[in-house]
Amino acid sequence: MRLLNLLNANIRKHFIEMKRYLPNTMAFIITFYIIFLAMFAGIKLIGDPSSQDANIQYVIVNYIFWYLAMVVVNDIGWQISNEASQGTFEQLSMSPMGIWRIMTARLISSTIVNFLIIVALLYISMATTGQWLNIDVITLLPILVLTLISMFGLGLIIAGMTVVFKQIQAFLQILQFILAALVFVQSNVLPFLVFFPIVKGVELVRNVMIDGVSLSQIAVGDFLILGFNAIFYFIVGLGIFIYCERFAMRKGLLAHY
Amino acid sequence: MEAIIKVEGVKKAYKKRKSKEVIQAINDVSFDVKRGEILGLLGPNGAGKTTTIKMICGLLTPDEGSITINGNDMKTQRLKALKHISAVLEGNRNLYWRLTVKENLEYFAGNRGVSRKDAAFLIQDLLHKFNLKHKENELVNRLSRGMQQKLAIAIAMSAETDVILLDEPTLGLDVETSYEVRSILQSIVKEYNRTIIISSHDMDVIQDICERTVIINNGNIVINDSVKNLLKLFEVRSYSITLGGFLSNHQLSLISHKFPHHTYKKETFQSILEIDLAKSEEIYQIIDILKMDETPVEAIDRRNVNFEQIFMKIIKGEKSNAFAQSS
Repeated sequence: MRLLNLLNANIRKHFIEMKRYLPNTMAFIITFYIIFLAMFAGIKLIGDPSSQDANIQYVIVNYIFWYLAMVVVNDIGWQISNEASQGTFEQLSMSPMGIWRIMTARLISSTIVNFLIIVALLYISMATTGQWLNIDVITLLPILVLTLISMFGLGLIIAGMTVVFKQIQAFLQILQFILAALVFVQSNVLPFLVFFPIVKGVELVRNVMIDGVSLSQIAVGDFLILGFNAIFYFIVGLGIFIYCERFAMRKGLLAHY
Repeated sequence: MEAIIKVEGVKKAYKKRKSKEVIQAINDVSFDVKRGEILGLLGPNGAGKTTTIKMICGLLTPDEGSITINGNDMKTQRLKALKHISAVLEGNRNLYWRLTVKENLEYFAGNRGVSRKDAAFLIQDLLHKFNLKHKENELVNRLSRGMQQKLAIAIAMSAETDVILLDEPTLGLDVETSYEVRSILQSIVKEYNRTIIISSHDMDVIQDICERTVIINNGNIVINDSVKNLLKLFEVRSYSITLGGFLSNHQLSLISHKFPHHTYKKETFQSILEIDLAKSEEIYQIIDILKMDETPVEAIDRRNVNFEQIFMKIIKGEKSNAFAQSS
């Protein structure tokens, strides 16, 4: 119950801030939409006409996933960095719930609050291009949940690094492109890439949304890889975060910007 | 009364990033805080006060020693210990400026696992208590500094912890708000039976509301005594001697040699010698020096010292290794 209250408080805060600073939220969404339009125009103008439809569908899925990855993984770093400089991070660090639980609640709340925006962006993109993808919720849901767990792990690694280093804004800028690479890469280039976070999840989502693959058609092995990645990256992320928190407490960095 | 906070043999050293020089911030500090007590934690800048506060709050791990809050060790049972302590460490900086007063209270309650419904009654009570009810839907960035400070204390109160730690609770406040905050703090102890630790440079606040003070200097505790005792102790030894003339150079050099803690002011027809004595009997030595040149004595008064002067004496005494040791 206490964990639910914690999650509820963070969802509410996120929603209030997003609503209160609507122009800022809108600017972020518009920027993302412009990036998409640029990709779309690129495919239309210089892409191979024979594979144009497939490329556009590919871009829609990838760019929506990129937005999701940015919201989940990148945003937590910005949040901690900002809160450390504002002075609120030390208050969070003093919660008897434990800072890692608060950070996980933040990651989940970011995902939930931004989900509506993601769905809206998806439909706007499909309407803009005229390419209507297969939205099979039953098939997409387990893939998304498992992929998100691995993203949360990645988010906790970024959060841990921010707790120690604080001023990692330059790294967060680079991280946007690392996330883009993970989203856009195809595992048939290098098979071991399926064990990288996000890669396998996006691949399966592409199969569902572009090729119309259903839940029963997805191999058990694919789900095992997805499940392994989810558990592995979440545990590693949590371990790194807790280590960083303790390191920061030893060195006096927890409440220091 | 039982001790709710026990600080035992705590040490903390920092290594400077560039020179790798080790700075001993806290050196073997031990003290207790009793339930329902208001303790003043004092010290000049760089004395080790903030390091001590951060260790009590669980934001910093000691190199040696232990800190227990209500029987829970801060190192091994950190989350359990944190259930018993809340803090206002940077005043208005501890708030979310984009949220309203009520939203801040609700969010921090949620972060401790309390639902909005369960916190609602307490939040309303605190809004009234802190005179913030009329501002409950106001964004924090639109509040005055005093109101922000009161909100930060209200948030610490909303955690319903046994101990509340306040770092500079009256810093930057006007006189009226400072008095309001003081009276709120006193009522917190009386009505809610909370234990409060205050760190402040405002000695009036310490003298006004603290029962006991722990003074830290150079990483060590130099005084751990009640405010009443300290006032009494220093009052006895501070004298103001009004002379119907002026001291000769010889007399002045003798006084300077024997009593380094003195001030001498010349006026038109008289002069005033203010002097701190380690022992009351030393007054006879002063009389002997005055007798040498038959300097007329018009009055000998025991000075009323305030807590700020006492603090300065203790800190100076620590440095010169004289006053603090003799007291």
